[in-house]
Amino acid sequence: MDLASLGGNILGTIPLGDIVLYVTPFHLFMFVVVLIFTALIAISRTETQVEGSFGTLKDHKVSVGLSEFKSRRFLAIICGLATAGAMITGDLFNFTLFIALIGIVNVGIVSAVKQIDVLDAAYQYGIIAMICSLPLFGGASIILASTGTLSLFELASMATATPMMIFGSLLLLMGVAGETGIAPFFATKAEMFRTPGSPFILIIHLSSLFVIIRTIEILLIIIKII
Amino acid sequence: MSRIGRFWNKLANPDRIPKLFALVLGLLLLVGFVIPLDLNVDQIYPRPVPQVQIDEGIPTAPYDRGGEVLKLPGITKAQYPENSKSIGWITSYMSPQAIYVQSISPYFGTSIYSSPGGLIDEILYYTRGFDTILESTILMMSFIIASFLAANFTMNRKKREAPDKNSKYYDPTIESERLSEEE
Repeated sequence: MDLASLGGNILGTIPLGDIVLYVTPFHLFMFVVVLIFTALIAISRTETQVEGSFGTLKDHKVSVGLSEFKSRRFLAIICGLATAGAMITGDLFNFTLFIALIGIVNVGIVSAVKQIDVLDAAYQYGIIAMICSLPLFGGASIILASTGTLSLFELASMATATPMMIFGSLLLLMGVAGETGIAPFFATKAEMFRTPGSPFILIIHLSSLFVIIRTIEILLIIIKII
Repeated sequence: MSRIGRFWNKLANPDRIPKLFALVLGLLLLVGFVIPLDLNVDQIYPRPVPQVQIDEGIPTAPYDRGGEVLKLPGITKAQYPENSKSIGWITSYMSPQAIYVQSISPYFGTSIYSSPGGLIDEILYYTRGFDTILESTILMMSFIIASFLAANFTMNRKKREAPDKNSKYYDPTIESERLSEEE
Protein backbone atom coordinates (compact mmCIF):
# COMPACT_ATOMS: atom_id res chain seq x y z
CA MET A 1 0.00 0.00 0.00
CA ASP A 2 1.46 3.36 -0.91
CA LEU A 3 2.19 6.09 1.58
CA ALA A 4 -0.26 8.64 0.19
CA SER A 5 -3.36 6.45 0.57
CA LEU A 6 -2.45 5.64 4.18
CA GLY A 7 -1.48 9.04 5.50
CA GLY A 8 -2.45 11.58 2.85
CA ASN A 9 -0.19 13.65 0.64
CA ILE A 10 3.39 14.04 1.80
CA LEU A 11 3.83 17.59 3.05
CA GLY A 12 7.60 17.38 3.37
CA THR A 13 10.59 15.38 4.51
CA ILE A 14 13.28 15.92 7.11
CA PRO A 15 16.43 14.27 5.73
CA LEU A 16 18.99 13.05 8.27
CA GLY A 17 21.30 11.11 6.00
CA ASP A 18 19.72 7.77 5.20
CA ILE A 19 17.03 8.30 7.82
CA VAL A 20 14.35 10.44 6.25
CA LEU A 21 11.51 11.58 8.49
CA TYR A 22 8.38 12.38 6.50
CA VAL A 23 5.29 14.38 7.32
CA THR A 24 1.78 13.71 6.06
CA PRO A 25 -1.46 15.15 7.55
CA PHE A 26 -1.97 11.89 9.50
CA HIS A 27 1.54 11.82 10.98
CA LEU A 28 1.56 15.55 11.63
CA PHE A 29 -1.70 15.25 13.61
CA MET A 30 -0.36 12.40 15.77
CA PHE A 31 2.99 14.16 16.26
CA VAL A 32 1.35 17.40 17.43
CA VAL A 33 -1.13 15.59 19.73
CA VAL A 34 1.69 13.68 21.43
CA LEU A 35 3.68 16.90 21.88
CA ILE A 36 0.62 18.68 23.38
CA PHE A 37 0.11 15.84 25.87
CA THR A 38 3.81 15.87 26.73
CA ALA A 39 3.67 19.61 27.40
CA LEU A 40 0.58 19.14 29.62
CA ILE A 41 2.36 16.41 31.57
CA ALA A 42 5.53 18.50 31.91
CA ILE A 43 3.69 21.33 33.70
CA SER A 44 1.44 19.21 35.93
CA ARG A 45 1.93 17.85 39.43
CA THR A 46 1.29 14.36 40.76
CA GLU A 47 -1.90 13.33 42.44
CA THR A 48 -2.01 12.00 46.00
CA GLN A 49 -4.15 8.98 46.71
CA VAL A 50 -6.12 8.38 49.90
CA GLU A 51 -6.88 4.76 50.62
CA GLY A 52 -9.94 4.44 52.83
CA SER A 53 -10.97 1.33 54.71
CA PHE A 54 -14.43 0.27 55.90
CA GLY A 55 -15.29 0.29 59.57
CA THR A 56 -12.31 2.31 60.75
CA LEU A 57 -11.10 5.89 60.56
CA LYS A 58 -7.63 4.85 59.37
CA ASP A 59 -7.35 6.53 55.99
CA HIS A 60 -3.94 6.07 54.37
CA LYS A 61 -2.33 8.75 52.27
CA VAL A 62 -0.04 7.56 49.48
CA SER A 63 2.04 10.43 48.13
CA VAL A 64 5.08 10.91 45.90
CA GLY A 65 8.32 12.42 47.21
CA LEU A 66 10.09 15.34 45.54
CA SER A 67 13.09 13.48 44.09
CA GLU A 68 10.86 10.72 42.76
CA PHE A 69 8.54 13.35 41.27
CA LYS A 70 11.44 14.99 39.42
CA SER A 71 12.78 11.70 38.12
CA ARG A 72 9.35 10.60 36.93
CA ARG A 73 8.66 13.91 35.21
CA PHE A 74 11.98 13.72 33.34
CA LEU A 75 11.35 10.14 32.20
CA ALA A 76 7.76 10.99 31.19
CA ILE A 77 9.00 13.86 28.99
CA ILE A 78 11.57 11.58 27.35
CA CYS A 79 8.83 9.00 26.77
CA GLY A 80 6.62 11.65 25.12
CA LEU A 81 9.44 12.84 22.86
CA ALA A 82 10.27 9.26 21.86
CA THR A 83 6.61 8.64 21.01
CA ALA A 84 6.51 11.82 18.94
CA GLY A 85 9.65 10.72 17.09
CA ALA A 86 8.18 7.29 16.38
CA MET A 87 5.17 9.01 14.79
CA ILE A 88 7.08 10.72 11.95
CA THR A 89 10.08 8.46 11.38
CA GLY A 90 10.48 7.04 7.88
CA ASP A 91 12.96 4.30 8.67
CA LEU A 92 12.15 0.86 10.06
CA PHE A 93 15.20 0.44 12.29
CA ASN A 94 14.79 3.97 13.61
CA PHE A 95 11.21 3.08 14.55
CA THR A 96 12.30 -0.02 16.51
CA LEU A 97 14.88 2.04 18.39
CA PHE A 98 12.21 4.58 19.40
CA ILE A 99 10.04 1.72 20.68
CA ALA A 100 12.92 0.24 22.67
CA LEU A 101 13.46 3.68 24.24
CA ILE A 102 9.75 3.93 25.14
CA GLY A 103 9.88 0.47 26.74
CA ILE A 104 12.86 1.16 28.98
CA VAL A 105 11.54 4.58 30.04
CA ASN A 106 8.15 3.03 30.94
CA VAL A 107 9.87 0.66 33.35
CA GLY A 108 11.82 3.58 34.79
CA ILE A 109 8.70 5.66 35.50
CA VAL A 110 7.33 3.05 37.92
CA SER A 111 10.66 1.74 39.16
CA ALA A 112 10.70 3.89 42.32
CA VAL A 113 7.16 3.35 43.62
CA LYS A 114 6.73 1.97 47.13
CA GLN A 115 3.77 -0.37 46.58
CA ILE A 116 5.04 -3.92 46.42
CA ASP A 117 2.36 -5.24 44.05
CA VAL A 118 3.01 -2.40 41.59
CA LEU A 119 6.75 -3.07 41.71
CA ASP A 120 6.10 -6.73 41.07
CA ALA A 121 3.99 -5.92 38.00
CA ALA A 122 6.70 -3.52 36.76
CA TYR A 123 9.26 -6.30 37.20
CA GLN A 124 7.21 -8.68 35.06
CA TYR A 125 6.74 -5.92 32.45
CA GLY A 126 10.51 -5.36 32.45
CA ILE A 127 11.09 -9.05 31.76
CA ILE A 128 8.76 -8.88 28.74
CA ALA A 129 10.45 -5.69 27.53
CA MET A 130 13.79 -7.49 27.67
CA ILE A 131 12.49 -10.56 25.83
CA CYS A 132 11.03 -8.21 23.20
CA SER A 133 14.42 -7.02 21.98
CA LEU A 134 14.72 -10.30 20.11
CA PRO A 135 11.51 -10.15 17.99
CA LEU A 136 11.70 -6.35 17.61
CA PHE A 137 15.21 -6.09 16.18
CA GLY A 138 15.08 -9.59 14.71
CA GLY A 139 11.98 -8.70 12.71
CA ALA A 140 13.57 -5.51 11.40
CA SER A 141 16.74 -7.39 10.41
CA ILE A 142 14.76 -10.14 8.66
CA ILE A 143 12.94 -7.49 6.65
CA LEU A 144 16.32 -5.90 5.82
CA ALA A 145 17.72 -9.27 4.73
CA SER A 146 14.79 -10.10 2.48
CA THR A 147 14.33 -6.66 0.91
CA GLY A 148 17.81 -5.11 1.12
CA THR A 149 16.52 -1.81 2.47
CA LEU A 150 15.12 -0.24 5.63
CA SER A 151 13.60 2.93 4.20
CA LEU A 152 9.79 2.97 4.27
CA PHE A 153 9.72 4.79 0.90
CA GLU A 154 11.63 1.92 -0.73
CA LEU A 155 9.57 -0.72 1.10
CA ALA A 156 6.35 0.93 -0.13
CA SER A 157 7.54 0.73 -3.74
CA MET A 158 8.23 -3.03 -3.59
CA ALA A 159 5.90 -5.01 -5.84
CA THR A 160 5.00 -8.01 -3.65
CA ALA A 161 5.57 -9.28 -0.14
CA THR A 162 7.48 -12.55 0.14
CA PRO A 163 6.73 -15.06 2.97
CA MET A 164 9.93 -14.05 4.73
CA MET A 165 8.86 -10.38 4.75
CA ILE A 166 5.53 -11.40 6.28
CA PHE A 167 7.33 -13.47 8.92
CA GLY A 168 9.57 -10.51 9.71
CA SER A 169 6.53 -8.23 10.06
CA LEU A 170 4.86 -10.73 12.41
CA LEU A 171 7.99 -10.80 14.57
CA LEU A 172 7.99 -6.99 14.57
CA LEU A 173 4.32 -6.95 15.63
CA MET A 174 5.12 -9.44 18.40
CA GLY A 175 7.93 -7.23 19.63
CA VAL A 176 5.74 -4.12 19.65
CA ALA A 177 2.91 -6.02 21.38
CA GLY A 178 5.19 -7.00 24.23
CA GLU A 179 7.10 -3.75 24.47
CA THR A 180 3.95 -1.62 24.68
CA GLY A 181 1.88 -4.17 26.60
CA ILE A 182 -1.24 -4.54 24.45
CA ALA A 183 -3.77 -7.36 24.62
CA PRO A 184 -3.41 -10.13 25.70
CA PHE A 185 -0.32 -8.98 27.61
CA PHE A 186 -1.89 -5.95 29.34
CA ALA A 187 -2.25 -7.38 32.86
CA THR A 188 1.20 -6.16 33.93
CA LYS A 189 0.43 -2.67 32.68
CA ALA A 190 -2.97 -2.47 34.35
CA GLU A 191 -1.34 -3.31 37.69
CA MET A 192 1.31 -0.65 37.12
CA PHE A 193 -1.40 2.06 37.02
CA ARG A 194 -2.39 1.44 40.64
CA THR A 195 0.14 3.87 42.05
CA PRO A 196 -0.15 7.63 42.69
CA GLY A 197 1.38 10.05 40.24
CA SER A 198 -1.36 9.99 37.66
CA PRO A 199 -0.16 12.21 34.76
CA PHE A 200 3.22 10.49 34.55
CA ILE A 201 1.70 7.04 34.67
CA LEU A 202 -0.70 8.00 31.88
CA ILE A 203 2.09 8.64 29.36
CA ILE A 204 2.81 4.88 29.53
CA HIS A 205 -0.71 4.22 28.25
CA LEU A 206 -0.76 7.07 25.75
CA SER A 207 2.54 6.06 24.13
CA SER A 208 1.37 2.49 23.57
CA LEU A 209 -1.89 3.66 21.93
CA PHE A 210 -0.05 5.88 19.45
CA VAL A 211 2.70 3.36 18.76
CA ILE A 212 0.16 0.65 17.93
CA ILE A 213 -1.54 2.88 15.34
CA ARG A 214 1.81 3.66 13.72
CA THR A 215 2.85 -0.01 13.79
CA ILE A 216 -0.29 -1.04 11.94
CA GLU A 217 0.42 1.60 9.31
CA ILE A 218 4.01 0.37 8.87
CA LEU A 219 2.87 -3.25 8.63
CA LEU A 220 0.36 -2.26 5.93
CA ILE A 221 3.18 -0.56 4.03
CA ILE A 222 5.35 -3.68 4.23
CA ILE A 223 2.99 -6.61 3.67
CA LYS A 224 0.52 -4.91 1.26
CA ILE A 225 -2.61 -6.87 2.18
CA ILE A 226 -4.95 -4.22 0.81
CA MET B 1 -18.12 -19.68 35.02
CA SER B 2 -17.51 -20.34 31.39
CA ARG B 3 -14.17 -21.66 30.18
CA ILE B 4 -13.23 -18.44 28.39
CA GLY B 5 -14.01 -16.45 31.53
CA ARG B 6 -11.66 -18.65 33.54
CA PHE B 7 -8.98 -18.10 30.89
CA TRP B 8 -9.37 -14.30 31.08
CA ASN B 9 -9.08 -14.45 34.86
CA LYS B 10 -5.83 -16.38 34.57
CA LEU B 11 -4.53 -13.74 32.16
CA ALA B 12 -5.15 -11.04 34.77
CA ASN B 13 -2.28 -12.32 36.93
CA PRO B 14 0.93 -10.43 36.07
CA ASP B 15 3.12 -13.41 37.08
CA ARG B 16 1.76 -15.47 34.21
CA ILE B 17 2.23 -12.86 31.48
CA PRO B 18 5.99 -13.34 30.77
CA LYS B 19 5.49 -17.11 30.56
CA LEU B 20 2.56 -16.71 28.15
CA PHE B 21 4.51 -14.21 26.07
CA ALA B 22 7.55 -16.48 25.90
CA LEU B 23 5.33 -19.40 24.83
CA VAL B 24 3.67 -17.42 22.02
CA LEU B 25 7.04 -16.07 20.88
CA GLY B 26 8.54 -19.58 20.91
CA LEU B 27 5.70 -20.90 18.73
CA LEU B 28 6.15 -18.00 16.29
CA LEU B 29 9.92 -18.66 16.11
CA LEU B 30 9.22 -22.35 15.39
CA VAL B 31 7.08 -21.24 12.42
CA GLY B 32 10.22 -19.47 11.19
CA PHE B 33 11.87 -22.82 10.46
CA VAL B 34 9.36 -23.63 7.72
CA ILE B 35 9.42 -20.18 6.08
CA PRO B 36 11.42 -20.39 2.82
CA LEU B 37 14.62 -18.35 3.00
CA ASP B 38 14.40 -15.45 0.59
CA LEU B 39 17.48 -13.25 0.86
CA ASN B 40 17.98 -10.26 -1.37
CA VAL B 41 21.60 -10.06 -2.55
CA ASP B 42 21.19 -6.41 -3.55
CA GLN B 43 21.75 -5.05 -0.03
CA ILE B 44 21.95 -1.37 0.80
CA TYR B 45 24.72 -1.95 3.37
CA PRO B 46 26.91 -4.66 1.77
CA ARG B 47 29.54 -6.60 3.69
CA PRO B 48 32.60 -8.30 2.18
CA VAL B 49 32.57 -12.10 2.11
CA PRO B 50 33.89 -13.44 5.44
CA GLN B 51 37.66 -14.03 5.67
CA VAL B 52 38.39 -12.40 2.29
CA GLN B 53 40.06 -9.33 3.80
CA ILE B 54 41.88 -11.44 6.40
CA ASP B 55 43.30 -13.71 3.68
CA GLU B 56 44.52 -10.62 1.82
CA GLY B 57 46.41 -9.55 4.95
CA ILE B 58 44.72 -6.16 5.41
CA PRO B 59 45.38 -4.97 9.02
CA THR B 60 41.95 -3.33 9.31
CA ALA B 61 40.09 -6.51 8.28
CA PRO B 62 37.13 -7.05 8.37
CA TYR B 63 36.31 -3.32 8.44
CA ASP B 64 38.32 -2.13 5.46
CA ARG B 65 36.16 -0.08 3.09
CA GLY B 66 38.90 1.11 0.78
CA GLY B 67 39.95 4.69 0.14
CA GLU B 68 42.76 6.74 1.61
CA VAL B 69 42.33 9.38 4.29
CA LEU B 70 42.05 12.88 2.73
CA LYS B 71 43.08 11.55 -0.70
CA LEU B 72 40.58 9.03 -2.08
CA PRO B 73 36.96 8.34 -1.01
CA GLY B 74 36.12 4.85 0.24
CA ILE B 75 33.40 2.57 -1.10
CA THR B 76 30.19 3.15 0.85
CA LYS B 77 26.64 2.95 -0.43
CA ALA B 78 23.79 5.09 0.85
CA GLN B 79 20.04 4.89 0.37
CA TYR B 80 19.83 8.59 -0.44
CA PRO B 81 23.25 9.78 -1.74
CA GLU B 82 21.81 13.29 -2.21
CA ASN B 83 21.51 13.60 1.59
CA SER B 84 25.10 12.49 2.21
CA LYS B 85 27.28 14.80 0.18
CA SER B 86 30.68 13.78 1.55
CA ILE B 87 30.03 10.04 1.56
CA GLY B 88 33.16 7.91 1.39
CA TRP B 89 35.45 10.64 2.67
CA ILE B 90 35.30 9.83 6.36
CA THR B 91 35.56 6.07 5.99
CA SER B 92 38.16 4.49 8.24
CA TYR B 93 39.49 7.66 9.77
CA MET B 94 42.15 6.59 12.26
CA SER B 95 43.71 8.41 15.18
CA PRO B 96 47.56 8.56 15.33
CA GLN B 97 47.64 5.83 17.98
CA ALA B 98 45.45 3.63 15.78
CA ILE B 99 47.72 4.16 12.79
CA TYR B 100 50.72 3.13 14.94
CA VAL B 101 49.01 -0.04 16.22
CA GLN B 102 47.89 -0.87 12.69
CA SER B 103 51.49 -0.59 11.45
CA ILE B 104 52.83 -3.12 13.99
CA SER B 105 49.90 -5.57 14.26
CA PRO B 106 48.08 -7.43 11.49
CA TYR B 107 45.06 -7.99 13.78
CA PHE B 108 44.11 -4.34 14.32
CA GLY B 109 40.58 -4.66 12.89
CA THR B 110 39.53 -7.34 15.37
CA SER B 111 41.26 -5.83 18.41
CA ILE B 112 39.85 -3.57 21.09
CA TYR B 113 41.75 -0.60 19.60
CA SER B 114 39.45 -0.52 16.61
CA SER B 115 36.36 0.52 18.58
CA PRO B 116 36.78 3.77 20.54
CA GLY B 117 38.19 6.47 18.31
CA GLY B 118 40.04 4.06 16.12
CA LEU B 119 38.04 3.02 13.07
CA ILE B 120 35.06 5.30 12.67
CA ASP B 121 32.48 3.56 10.58
CA GLU B 122 30.80 5.75 8.05
CA ILE B 123 27.43 4.01 8.27
CA LEU B 124 27.27 4.34 12.05
CA TYR B 125 28.44 7.92 12.27
CA TYR B 126 27.35 9.53 9.03
CA THR B 127 24.57 8.04 6.94
CA ARG B 128 22.75 6.44 9.91
CA GLY B 129 24.02 8.78 12.60
CA PHE B 130 20.55 9.36 14.09
CA ASP B 131 20.31 5.65 14.97
CA THR B 132 23.57 5.88 16.89
CA ILE B 133 22.23 8.88 18.83
CA LEU B 134 19.10 6.92 19.75
CA GLU B 135 21.09 3.83 20.77
CA SER B 136 23.23 5.86 23.14
CA THR B 137 20.07 7.59 24.45
CA ILE B 138 18.62 4.18 25.35
CA LEU B 139 21.83 3.33 27.21
CA MET B 140 21.83 6.70 28.96
CA MET B 141 18.21 6.30 30.10
CA SER B 142 18.94 2.88 31.57
CA PHE B 143 21.94 4.30 33.43
CA ILE B 144 19.81 7.21 34.71
CA ILE B 145 17.17 4.79 36.04
CA ALA B 146 19.76 2.50 37.62
CA SER B 147 21.70 5.35 39.22
CA PHE B 148 18.50 6.99 40.53
CA LEU B 149 17.50 3.73 42.20
CA ALA B 150 21.01 3.15 43.51
CA ALA B 151 21.29 6.67 44.93
CA ASN B 152 17.85 6.77 46.54
CA PHE B 153 17.26 3.21 47.66
CA THR B 154 20.70 1.98 48.71
CA MET B 155 23.10 4.85 49.45
CA ASN B 156 20.83 7.68 50.59
CA ARG B 157 18.22 5.64 52.44
CA LYS B 158 18.77 7.42 55.73
CA LYS B 159 18.62 10.85 54.14
CA ARG B 160 15.21 10.22 52.67
CA GLU B 161 12.43 12.61 53.53
CA ALA B 162 10.65 11.99 56.81
CA PRO B 163 8.03 9.32 56.21
CA ASP B 164 4.36 10.12 56.09
CA LYS B 165 2.77 9.06 59.35
CA ASN B 166 -0.59 8.47 57.65
CA SER B 167 0.89 6.04 55.15
CA LYS B 168 0.04 2.40 55.45
CA TYR B 169 3.73 1.62 54.94
CA TYR B 170 4.69 3.67 58.00
CA ASP B 171 6.51 1.50 60.53
CA PRO B 172 7.21 3.16 63.95
CA THR B 173 10.08 0.77 64.78
CA ILE B 174 11.98 1.54 61.57
CA GLU B 175 11.37 5.25 62.12
CA SER B 176 12.79 5.19 65.65
CA GLU B 177 15.88 3.32 64.38
CA ARG B 178 16.30 5.91 61.65
CA LEU B 179 16.11 8.78 64.15
CA SER B 180 18.61 7.16 66.55
CA GLU B 181 21.09 6.56 63.73
CA GLU B 182 20.79 10.15 62.56
CA GLU B 183 21.71 11.39 66.03
